[in-house]
Amino acid sequence: MVSKSKALPKGVSAADFDKVVREIRAIVGDEHVLVDEDKLAPYRKIMMPVPDEQHELSASVMPDGVEQIQRIMKVANKYRVPVYPISTGKNLGYGSAAPVQRGQIVMDLRRMNRIIEVDPELCTALVEPGVTYQQLYDYLQEHKLPLWFSCPAPSAIAGPVGNMVDRGVGYTPYGEHFMFSCGMEVVLADGQVLRTGMGAMENSNTWQVFKWGYGPTLDGMFTQSNYGVVTKMGMWLMPAPPDFRPFCIQYPNEADITKIVEALRPLRIAMVIPNAVVIAHTLWEAPCTPVKRADYYTGPGAIPDEAVKKIQADHSIGAWNVYAGLYGTKETNDANWKIIEAVAAGTGGKIITQEASKGSQALQYRFDLMKGKPNLGEFGLYNWRGGGGSIWFAPVSQAKGAETLKQMQMAKTILAKYGFDYVGEFIVGWRDMHHVIDLLYDRSKPEEMEKAYACYDELLHTFAKEGYGMYRANTAFAEKVAATYGPVKRDVEKRLKKALDPNNIIAPGRCGISL
Amino acid sequence: MRTRAWAGCLGVLALVTAAGSAGAGQWRDGAELYQKVCGHCHEANVGPVLKGRSLPPEYIQRVVRMGNRAMPAFRPTEIDDATLADVARRISTGAVLARE
Repeated sequence: MVSKSKALPKGVSAADFDKVVREIRAIVGDEHVLVDEDKLAPYRKIMMPVPDEQHELSASVMPDGVEQIQRIMKVANKYRVPVYPISTGKNLGYGSAAPVQRGQIVMDLRRMNRIIEVDPELCTALVEPGVTYQQLYDYLQEHKLPLWFSCPAPSAIAGPVGNMVDRGVGYTPYGEHFMFSCGMEVVLADGQVLRTGMGAMENSNTWQVFKWGYGPTLDGMFTQSNYGVVTKMGMWLMPAPPDFRPFCIQYPNEADITKIVEALRPLRIAMVIPNAVVIAHTLWEAPCTPVKRADYYTGPGAIPDEAVKKIQADHSIGAWNVYAGLYGTKETNDANWKIIEAVAAGTGGKIITQEASKGSQALQYRFDLMKGKPNLGEFGLYNWRGGGGSIWFAPVSQAKGAETLKQMQMAKTILAKYGFDYVGEFIVGWRDMHHVIDLLYDRSKPEEMEKAYACYDELLHTFAKEGYGMYRANTAFAEKVAATYGPVKRDVEKRLKKALDPNNIIAPGRCGISL
Repeated sequence: MRTRAWAGCLGVLALVTAAGSAGAGQWRDGAELYQKVCGHCHEANVGPVLKGRSLPPEYIQRVVRMGNRAMPAFRPTEIDDATLADVARRISTGAVLARE
């Protein structure tokens, strides 16, 4: 009997749950369905400020192919049991591998880890959800293919399908990841397999090179949603440039963000600087240097500005630290480098080149990320407050100086009210900025959990009042974030859900979408 | 000039690669796992040093599965039981972890 499982899916009886487990075991094999509490432990580890029980799973099923997923969908429909697909399950600070709602069965796609095709002429790849960036990197290295991809900071253990489907970002010229995906394969709730774009056509060889196909382009519907299970995704790879010149420009004052953004925007839009530039605050750099917070402040509440200034001086960290790169030939980079030098000189910034960065842990991991070399250097952030609590507050901003300063000040004030530090960065798209703030707190202390929850809530609603929306959100706040985007959008999403998944079996609640 | 330099990088690669099933979650041994996963933090001044502390293998295995504060938890689909046991033994006994 497996019905002892304490977190049954909502509305599903213990007897039916037993039948579900029996039937999915027949599909994937006994060893690929987990129900025992100790075996499910890795799925329960979350960093969000809500009790583990809220995101407790009932079981995990680990299919190894599309056909198995199709059959699991049939069982899920038969018993109206919700399944929550994950890829690598490393969306840390956004929900990790735990389901959005208690009781859902996690569908762990990590075993589907095939790199199906890499085309070195067209610079494309087709991969499954379980492929990690590290795996793809190793593959390209082993086959001596001079191709780069863009990856997020937890790249060594995360993967491209999950990241693109959650519309994550990275740091190379291909940093807006979903923009550089091309073609998906999706298992729908009724078991049909949809290939998007050109993939819908039998015998097409343009699935990974032309996104749009004919008629409506559907790919976006399967990102930040629950309309299907993405089982393959195409992605564009970037030819390694003959000359790569990463650099950092440091600025001494918090208010400098205005002139930094004004100076960089034209260069980014014109693609003189082609990559997703990062403008990182002192307190993002410090933990990754690493600097210990306790060496500078042990009192209550947020770290004072004077302590932050001292960290800057002691460790040669800017108030803001701009990370960007030139990607081209020696000749083009020489020409563009003169522009970079002029901009830095004109705005009071100090350039640090790759040569000058040697020995700096914080700069090295950034420079590696800008060429898509996986690492976990940014996990240094978690040592800042300790205790394993982290959620990303991530509003979108225009790439305008006054806007970024306003957002930074709003966030810093609200964080300080709850005793948290402003650990933030801006990732420059083309005309937008992803303002990413790591709300770090000690998850071992219940009072800090409560404060972190209340703090995110206030951040969310204060920003929404000003017209600032999230680009991405953790599963605990999915409903609240979705609500900030207004009723019409939500109604359309619900109607789509009803049409594609009438029994509400794929990740109900994900991004606030449910019947 | 620019065109030639880029072409030089890619011109020799005229094949389409069918990649088959390589890698993740299927480790050669604990040493490879340590290098590709654990070492990114525990050899990089991010997570605590593990080697040379005679940590009990059972403890290491438990922390990998449960996670511990900022340390993420790893599922059996990412790290199978046998490789986990091997890496825990190697860390615990100070066996060779780095690969050439």
